[in-house]
Amino acid sequence: MNCAECRDNLVACIEGLLDPEETLQCRAHLEACAACRAEHAAIAHLQHQLVERGQAAAHVSIVEPVMRRVRAVHEEPERNSIVSIILKHRWGLGLGATAGAVAVILITLASTPKVQAAAAVVMTRGAEAVANLSTIHIRGRLRTAPQDNFSYINPDFDFVTVEIWKQLQPELKWRVDKPGRSAVMDGQSTVLFIKPDFATKVGQPSSSAFDTQWLHEMADVSQTLNSELSASKLHGWPVTLAQEQGADGKPKSIVTVEAKSGLLAGDYLKNKFFGMADTRRVYVFDDQSQLLESVQVYLHADSGEKLIFELDQIDYNHPIDPSVFQLQLPVNVVWQQEMQLLPDNEKYAAMTPEQAARTFFEACGREDWAEAGKFCTMTSGLKEFLGGVQVVNIGNHFTSALTLIGGPLFVPYEIKLKGGYVKKFNLALKKDAKTGRWYVDGGI
Amino acid sequence: MDLTDKEYVQHCRDGHPDDFRLLVLRYQGPLFSYLMGRLGNRSQAEEAAQESFVRAFQSLKKLRKPELFYSWLLGIAGRVAKEQFRSWKRRQQDREVAETIMAKPADTLAEYPLDEAIAVLPETYRQVILLRYYEELSCLEVAQRLDMPLGTVTKTLSRAYTLLRQELQAREGADRTTNHTEHP
Repeated sequence: MNCAECRDNLVACIEGLLDPEETLQCRAHLEACAACRAEHAAIAHLQHQLVERGQAAAHVSIVEPVMRRVRAVHEEPERNSIVSIILKHRWGLGLGATAGAVAVILITLASTPKVQAAAAVVMTRGAEAVANLSTIHIRGRLRTAPQDNFSYINPDFDFVTVEIWKQLQPELKWRVDKPGRSAVMDGQSTVLFIKPDFATKVGQPSSSAFDTQWLHEMADVSQTLNSELSASKLHGWPVTLAQEQGADGKPKSIVTVEAKSGLLAGDYLKNKFFGMADTRRVYVFDDQSQLLESVQVYLHADSGEKLIFELDQIDYNHPIDPSVFQLQLPVNVVWQQEMQLLPDNEKYAAMTPEQAARTFFEACGREDWAEAGKFCTMTSGLKEFLGGVQVVNIGNHFTSALTLIGGPLFVPYEIKLKGGYVKKFNLALKKDAKTGRWYVDGGI
Repeated sequence: MDLTDKEYVQHCRDGHPDDFRLLVLRYQGPLFSYLMGRLGNRSQAEEAAQESFVRAFQSLKKLRKPELFYSWLLGIAGRVAKEQFRSWKRRQQDREVAETIMAKPADTLAEYPLDEAIAVLPETYRQVILLRYYEELSCLEVAQRLDMPLGTVTKTLSRAYTLLRQELQAREGADRTTNHTEHP
């Protein structure tokens, strides 16, 4: 093998692609030829560098985060987030001196007319940004019971997934899901389905229903912040804006709102539902993309502060499959019945809450579902749960501050289920306007 | 067979942004490697690589020679690295913290000319280098991926090595002549 042949085959030789005889010839030539040996060494050195460079990049996978941002850039109209606008206005707000990368900027909305004017700009632009959205999908996790009310929270429970899909254009449609229940507004009507077999329907479109308001607000990011800022101004809630470096090394803007429910410490409903809780709400924005990246809500519970909600995915303007807005109901679904005047309606209308609670549970104990149905739509699941129940005790009813504005009152009860399990809880009762009768609004 | 950079860029410009994924797949390794060399910190290099790709996508319409996508991307990445480095310096000053976390000297560019040499390779050669070293394919696998004879792969590699060495020597000579070191 001569020099030209050796160099032609050098890469194949290094890569081990020559047959044994050619390899021997190549090696023999290299041993004998200093020039080709130097060429071989130079290639080997370069290969070594390339291997190092390749190994440094091993396991790098930035495709998905890049594509998420690319899609946002491509699909999303230019957004003027509240944070970005506040940051743009910070010099005018006298905040420039603290605008360093790690400075914490405290914004007190009621402080000066200048700040209020800036807040108005923020709200207007936020509303404009919302107007341009066509769809939004949010997924988060909430400490709650899977089948309970959409806004029910309990810091002692595990997280369950909650999701909202919202089509804003060309026609408003939405769906909210948690493991045990779904609510769907398909443009014509709004249906709530509680697994396994209960459904209720509002025969018209709605912007929110069935206690999904807080999720709708979450889906409307700019509007939510506008509301938060308005409420902060109205109620004097502290709002802070901080700039920090995130765990990923990128600068973040963090808006924190300390929200107060207004309910007194001893109120039964306090901290039981999203809108009735004292919470710290943390909105984190990426400074470069200006996109909302995460939301955490912490409950100020008696036992201390605890994370109760965490938003982990936001998709803006992603097409939503039309089937999302079509609710599949089981064939044995039981629809909630509108309360009707009974022949002996006066007897029931004259009941105290305690009498209504006892009558309801005793009817369940006898499995007299017609009687129980006068207080509550009885699904197969409820019948299975309450059939044969014994009433141990019915206490005196109590109210919440919300009772005065249309909320339920509560009757403490103690019942023994047919399996022997004793349950102590509070039955929520409301009075139906048309019939004047008590009906069960929750608490079973 | 894979499309060329120029074709992918054209697809993106024609309203198919998802095709940008293929450019990210193709260049995430070398771009990260380049930024890792400049910034000396893995998480910062990843962030800078993401930011570079996003900026490239945003400016894709301004790219006059789509066949030079990677070289152009590397230029963007260089600017992102500079910004990130400056931002880090500012934060360090703000915090009055000693420079202990990222003890990488500022003049790191000259230490990593290989990435830039790869970027200016003609695409045929660059593609083979990327597949062989950044996707860690064997020559046979490269041949299958590119639907070309094995002998063509080894000859392309051979020519690519020659071009890379020439480019590195030219850069080394330029550095010696100007005694210039670019700071990020």
